[in-house]
Amino acid sequence: MKKMKMKMKMKKLSIAALFLILTATLALAGCQPKDAVEAGDGAQGPSAELEKVTVVLDWVPNTNHTGLYVAQDLGFYEEAGLDVEIIQPAEGGSASLIAAGQGEFGISYQEEITYARTAAEPLPVKAIAAIIQHNTSGFASPVEKGIVTPKDFEGKKYGGWGSPAEVAMLSGLMAKEGADFDKLEMVDLGALDFFAATKSHVDFTWIYYGWDGIAAEVNNVPINFILLQDFEENLDFYTPVIIAKEELLSARPELAKKFLAATTKGYEYAMENPEEAVKSLLKAAPEVDEAIAVASQNYLADQYQAEAPQWGVMDLEIWTNYAGWMFENGLIESELEAEEAFTNDFLPKK
Amino acid sequence: MMKKSANTGKWPAAVFLAVLTALWELSVRSGWVDAYTLPAPSSVIRVLFSELPGLRSHIWITLQEAGIGFLAAIGFSIALALLMDFVPMVKKGLYPILVLSQTVPIIVLAPLFGMWFGFGMLPKIVIVMLVCFFPIIVSLLDGLEAADPDELHLIEGMGAGQLQQFRWVKFPGALVNLFSGIRIAATYSIMGAVIGEWLGGTGGLGVYMLRVRHSFALDKMFAAILIVVVLSIAVFKGIDLIQRMLMPWAVSKEK
Repeated sequence: MKKMKMKMKMKKLSIAALFLILTATLALAGCQPKDAVEAGDGAQGPSAELEKVTVVLDWVPNTNHTGLYVAQDLGFYEEAGLDVEIIQPAEGGSASLIAAGQGEFGISYQEEITYARTAAEPLPVKAIAAIIQHNTSGFASPVEKGIVTPKDFEGKKYGGWGSPAEVAMLSGLMAKEGADFDKLEMVDLGALDFFAATKSHVDFTWIYYGWDGIAAEVNNVPINFILLQDFEENLDFYTPVIIAKEELLSARPELAKKFLAATTKGYEYAMENPEEAVKSLLKAAPEVDEAIAVASQNYLADQYQAEAPQWGVMDLEIWTNYAGWMFENGLIESELEAEEAFTNDFLPKK
Repeated sequence: MMKKSANTGKWPAAVFLAVLTALWELSVRSGWVDAYTLPAPSSVIRVLFSELPGLRSHIWITLQEAGIGFLAAIGFSIALALLMDFVPMVKKGLYPILVLSQTVPIIVLAPLFGMWFGFGMLPKIVIVMLVCFFPIIVSLLDGLEAADPDELHLIEGMGAGQLQQFRWVKFPGALVNLFSGIRIAATYSIMGAVIGEWLGGTGGLGVYMLRVRHSFALDKMFAAILIVVVLSIAVFKGIDLIQRMLMPWAVSKEK
């Protein structure tokens, strides 16, 4: 009899406890998500007069983004009346996210914008600044592989992510050098990095020199690097670029101008003081490897603006050439209206 | 009679784990496996301690997302199970859809979540709920279905309505099942939050893992994985403890 009473008591207790959890949950679920969904998980308070801006990166924070972090850290955004939050998304470029309104500005690539604007359902996004003037990406391999020109791709294995653009690039480059594309084996690597990939799986991959190339230098791994534009001029495209939704540019042009003015200051600072600038990046993302970041920052200091009259300006020819190359190679189904794909109008007047 | 108690069962696992770890350490030290492909356990542990201060904020974010999603999943499952038990039509209609929800690959949905829900806590909580609610609701429904028909007849005879039958017989009887479902869900909750963070955000163990991997620091990535493992085990044991406190009779039954 006593056992029965104990059992009933404990049952009552456990039911009560569970219903408590239920109500607590519903209460929590009711109030938590709302705060988080409003732009920024950060502080309210003194930033009440500042305009909230969300910047969606293209991947993890790295030295391509240093100017943004400098502008955030050294108060350039605040001076311009902006409260900027920088978000790291899943890999691949922020075009869809910006089109969906998940941020005011995003980091993307000329290639992604070209695809996005010529898709069956085009995305209304536009490039408003080029972070790096010339393409700093290319095909890299450990020196032992002896891959110095695209002709050497013959009989080798390439590791990529299975995009038609890679096929087009490789076959195009090889054809130009009189090499047989069929003698190249292509493999999907997923997220494998350059070093692990070329050690035991493939012979060469496509890298940004500013990150993987510099990492190779820092770690004393001699590599051969083939710059795309050395073999095909049309492949000197802008990557990465800052983008925005067309709607935002027409509804809030002052915001775009303020943002780009402050961002320009950030990148100019990074060009003049690479070792100081990189600290802003490392402060925001301490997970980034410091040695590689510093070396990379020094490399990029000359690359951001290169010989252009000011940071961020874009040339119509670059857009037309690459889009034309993509169209000829069947990568896009309709031609890009290059004048509509980008604009220099929001960059500060120098 | 020789009693082989549950305690001796722990030693083989510990020994096995120790041997495995030793082999792992040896294979990296000897150079058979490259350190940048698979870091040695010693460097993982070392880096775990040096990174801990920085990791604290990330751990806290992940725990919050996992905790809220997990609790929300429990609440949601109990409420839905109630509904499905009361109205058989709803059960018939909803059950296959619940199963369907588990067959959709989350990794594929992931980029869409960024578009639909943004980058705050909401998408991570949604993913944790998606991952956690199914084992809970299935176990609970099974438990409710297995209610003792004699007990039911008894209180029905005493004039108990559906709600009273649920409160006095069905639900208490299903508690053991509910807890086994909750235990399973708990072990997935941390992982669910981490997957959610891979879609994007500003902090959390998932965000940390992506960044250190991009910096070629696999030892740091493994340290984060180790933390996820430890947290998941801790949550699992925690649920166990709660169950023991609430239902001591169930524990003695198992023994």
